[in-house]
Formats: sequence, C-alpha cells, structure tokens
Amino acid sequence: MSGEKENGQKKSGHIIELRKVSKTYYRAKEKLEVLSDLDLDIEEGSFEALMGPSGSGKSTLLNIIAGLDSASSGQVNVAGSELSQMNDNRRARWRAGNIGFIFQTYNMMPVLTALENVELPLLLTGLPSSERKKRAETALRVVGLEGRSSHYPRQLSGGQEQRVTIARAIVADPKLIVADEPTGDLDRHSADEILALLEKLNKEFNKSILMVTHDPAAAERAKRVHHLDKGRLLETHEGSAPRA
Amino acid sequence: MRLSSIGVRNVARNKFRNSLTIVGVGVAILTFVLLQTVLVSWTSAAKYAAQDRVATRHKVSFIMTMPLKYGQEILQVPGVTKAMYASWFGAKDAKHENEFFATIAVQTATFFDVYDEIQVSAGEKQSWLETKKGAIVGDVLAKKLGWKVGDRITLQGTIYPGDWEFVISGIYSAKRRSIDRSTLFFHYDYMNDAIPLRMKDKVGWIVSRIQDPGQAANISTAIDRHFEERDIQTLSQSERALNTSFLGMVSTILKALDLVSAVIMLIMLLILGNTIAMGVRERTHEYGVLRAIGFLPKHIAGFVFGEAMFIGTLGGIFGVALAYPLVERGVGRFIEENMGGFFPYFRIEPSTVVAALVLSLALGFLAAGLPAYRAAKLNVVDSLRRVG
Repeated sequence: MSGEKENGQKKSGHIIELRKVSKTYYRAKEKLEVLSDLDLDIEEGSFEALMGPSGSGKSTLLNIIAGLDSASSGQVNVAGSELSQMNDNRRARWRAGNIGFIFQTYNMMPVLTALENVELPLLLTGLPSSERKKRAETALRVVGLEGRSSHYPRQLSGGQEQRVTIARAIVADPKLIVADEPTGDLDRHSADEILALLEKLNKEFNKSILMVTHDPAAAERAKRVHHLDKGRLLETHEGSAPRA
Repeated sequence: MRLSSIGVRNVARNKFRNSLTIVGVGVAILTFVLLQTVLVSWTSAAKYAAQDRVATRHKVSFIMTMPLKYGQEILQVPGVTKAMYASWFGAKDAKHENEFFATIAVQTATFFDVYDEIQVSAGEKQSWLETKKGAIVGDVLAKKLGWKVGDRITLQGTIYPGDWEFVISGIYSAKRRSIDRSTLFFHYDYMNDAIPLRMKDKVGWIVSRIQDPGQAANISTAIDRHFEERDIQTLSQSERALNTSFLGMVSTILKALDLVSAVIMLIMLLILGNTIAMGVRERTHEYGVLRAIGFLPKHIAGFVFGEAMFIGTLGGIFGVALAYPLVERGVGRFIEENMGGFFPYFRIEPSTVVAALVLSLALGFLAAGLPAYRAAKLNVVDSLRRVG
C-alpha cells in the first residue's frame, strides 16, 4: 500500500485500498465468512464494476467500502480515510462528505419534490438555503431533469426517479459514487440512459464509481470488472470502456 | 427546505390514517377540556370566594335555623363590620315546573354591603329597596325564564306553601364568579310577615363582612364563642373555607374526573404511539437510505419526534376548536342556567386551553419516544435490505 500519512488520512492514487479485509457473521453458533482476506485497489477517477452470483459477498463488500458496514478484520482505506477506526457517527459524517449512493430501489421521499430530494444531503452541510437550492438545481441539470424540479416522485417514471437519486448522489460533490444494482429495476432503455449518465459523471466530472451489478451489459460500461465468489476476488478484467 | 420541516411534511404521507389519529387526539383533548372546565367551574366558588366574608349557621346542620337577633349580636363581635341574615325559601314557577332555581330571603338593608360583587343599576336597586314584594334575579335566570324588570310573577312555595307574588325590581350580574347568576333574592321581611308565628324571626344563615381577611379564623371562633352558652350554638367559617369544605365533600368525584382525564390521555398516547410506530416501520428502508447518505441517528429521531408532535398539536388545536363553540355557544350556557348552583360560571379558561395544547404536544413527544428510539437505532445495512 503506497501513500503517506497526513492527519490520519493517506494520499495515494487509489480512491479505494483494501488489505486483507474479512467479514464474518455469526448465525447462532455458526460462523459465516462472507469476505476472506480480500485485497482490492481502485484508482481515483475509475469506473469499476463488481460482479458475482448471489451470496458472493459483493453487496457486503460495497457496504464496507461505502462505510455502511465495518470489516471484521483488515484495513479499509477509502477516499483517504481509514474506516476501520471510525465509529458509526464518524462514518456517517464521513459518508455525507465523501460518498454518493445509488440504490436499486430509488427511495426518494414521497413528500418532497425532486429538487428537495436532491437537496437532502446538503441539509447536513450548513450551506445557506439559496446555495443549497442552486447546487440541487445544478445536479438536476447534470442528470437532465431541470424541468422536473417541482415534481413529486409519484409524478416521475422509474428512470426519472433513478436520475433524481443520481443527482442526490452527486450534489454534495462526493469523491466516490457507489451504485448497488442501479439498473436492476429498470427496462433496457432506461437502464442504458442511467449507465450513460454514470459514464458521463465518470468522464466529464471525474467521479470515481464502483457499481455492483448482475447485468453483463452494465458491467461492460466499466473500465474494470471484478468477479467475486464465496467472499474471494476470483479475477479482474478490463471492461469495454476505455481506460483513463 | 429545513431539517425541521421533514418530520412535519411526513404527516401528509398517510393522510387517511393521520387524519383519523388527529381526530382521535382532538376528541381526547375535547374530553380533557370539558372535564377540566367542570373541575375549574366546580372549584371556582372556592377560588373566587370573598376572603373577608364569614358565614355563620346552626352548629348542628345548615338546614336548621337560628334566631334572627343573632344577626345584630354578630355585629358586636370585634372585627365584624357588616352582617346580613338570609333564609332558604324554596319555590318554583308554575309556568316552568321543571326549572330549578334558588330563592333566598335576604336582609335587604345590608345585602349590597355584604355582597358588593352583585351589580344592579341604581334605579333598580332603589326600586327593590322600596318594594316589599320586589325581587332581584340573576341575568342568567332572567334570560332563561324570559323575565323582565317590572314583571309580576307568582311562585309556589315549597317550604312555605302557597302562592307568593313578586315583582321583578332588578336584574343583577356579578363582578366575581363566586355568585350564582340564577338566583332570586327577595325581602326577608316579606316572607317573615307572611309565615306562621312558630316560623317567624328565624334565619338560615348570617353572612358577615370583616375588616381583616387574615383574621377570618379568629373572628369565626369569636362568633361561635359568643353563642357558646346559648341553646342554639353556631358554626362559623370564612366563605372560602365553607366552599372548600363543600368541595371536600365532593373530592372523590373531582379525583374521579382527574382519573378519567388521565385514562383518556393514556389511551390516546397508545393510539398516537401506534400510528407513529406504523409509520416508522413502513419507512425502515427510507430511514436506511437517509442514514446511508449521512444523516445521524439524532436526525432520524428528530423526524419521528417532529411528526408525532405535529400530529399531537394538530389534534390539540382540533380538540380546542371543537370545545370552544360547544361550551361557549351551547353546553356552557345550558349548564349555567340549569346547574348554576354547582357551576355558576361554566366557560373555558385560557389556562385550560394552554394546558390542552401543551398536553397535546407532550402526548406527541411521549408517543414518539419508543418509535424514535427504535428508528434511531436501526442498523443501516439491515434497513436497506428491508423492502416496503
């Protein structure tokens, strides 16, 4: 692992550095090892995909990288911070500033408009209301939904809702976007639009993206694809997208 | 948009369920307001009683009489400035057989000195003093029975049988809530001159004004000591003590009303808590998303508390909004007219409204306690796995 320590943060060309990361659950007295001694480096500005069969540990790995869950052992360095030393609240604050989330189900708040849903993460930043609104409008413009800012989720299609959640994911200008099956609930056409949008974020805005997917067509958009099975990284190969 | 507004806006999510809950809280608050108004009204006679008045009655029971001359003798007790005797008459209006109201024969000469909170115009007062058959009636009673100044009425005596004719000389109101505005007062002499000899010159009670309210207990003792060696002994108490002792007799009822209020609030707390808990359970995945994007447990708890307290407050406002017209334009007047002896002033006190609104807010806060704790403690990963 390269890089130097500076105020508890490390600098390297990697947005993600995992070393000997394991995750073990106990169900009754049965030990379940979901991830085993996993090493992974992902470069800053990269668009990479995690694939694997159900139960392979890809969502668990994504959760650990995103700071939603903690590893049982090993080192997890993401966006320059060592997550294994953080408690829940510190990880939450870290997530707010560094991670943008895109989920399979869109989970917008139904009582808020598209603009207000996008504004949500900014409520934690202390920015003035006018600045929050401006940034939310910009994020909606990036995803092509500037005309839908006052629409409620029920007035949007599935693809539009997912684009709003992408705008919510980028509005706080995070270093890393994690996407868990972002096209899982969409038809092919809408899925392609979402994938094109993720590519745009990666290429034009230099956002690092890590995406969990079952969809080979989605994985093809990534620069690299990591295959997991039974908690171990089996192989990594280039996606169809050109390397930066 | 503000963080604090999110909990409030969540109320709009399940409009039907939340509307029913708001109505439920409203009805509970309405019940609370009505019960509190009963309690406040019931205790107002003691609360607003004059502190410088001492009432003296027969030592054995208030239904037994004392000699008329006791009134003059009480004036000799140091500290007593004025005294007025009175007797319960007991009569009903043949035209309004079912309407009960108090009829009291009073010593007219000192009546207004002792009861200075009773207000009647100078002309009507003069007319009453000059008319032997004259009577003054409370404005509530006059309105109820349609009596006007100058009307001649005939009442049927229940203690002193026969038809008794009166002229309505005046209609009184009251400066303080200690006075029942549904009573008919008339000249003691009119009654005394007409009743059999064996009943003459006897009074039911004597009310004295004293110089120093702080000396009420001592003066009461002095009055009773004055008549200690007589055949008929007395029991004297300040008006407030008298009213309070009456309240003591019904304290069990008052406590029962308090208990009923508390039970209704407890039921409402559980209903509101259930509504909030259902909302939290339905939003588990959403709370997981919010936690994922950086919201802290305290934020999630804040959303739940905000929603519950908003529902509670809306319910409180709804309950008070129901109670006001109900009491002020309906029940209140009916009770004052028909049960003025117990509830001379049956109106909603501002303090009751404030208590109701604070209570509804507190209900919301308490109801949200457990759901908010559980929402704040949700595991992010587990929450995200939950669908719906």
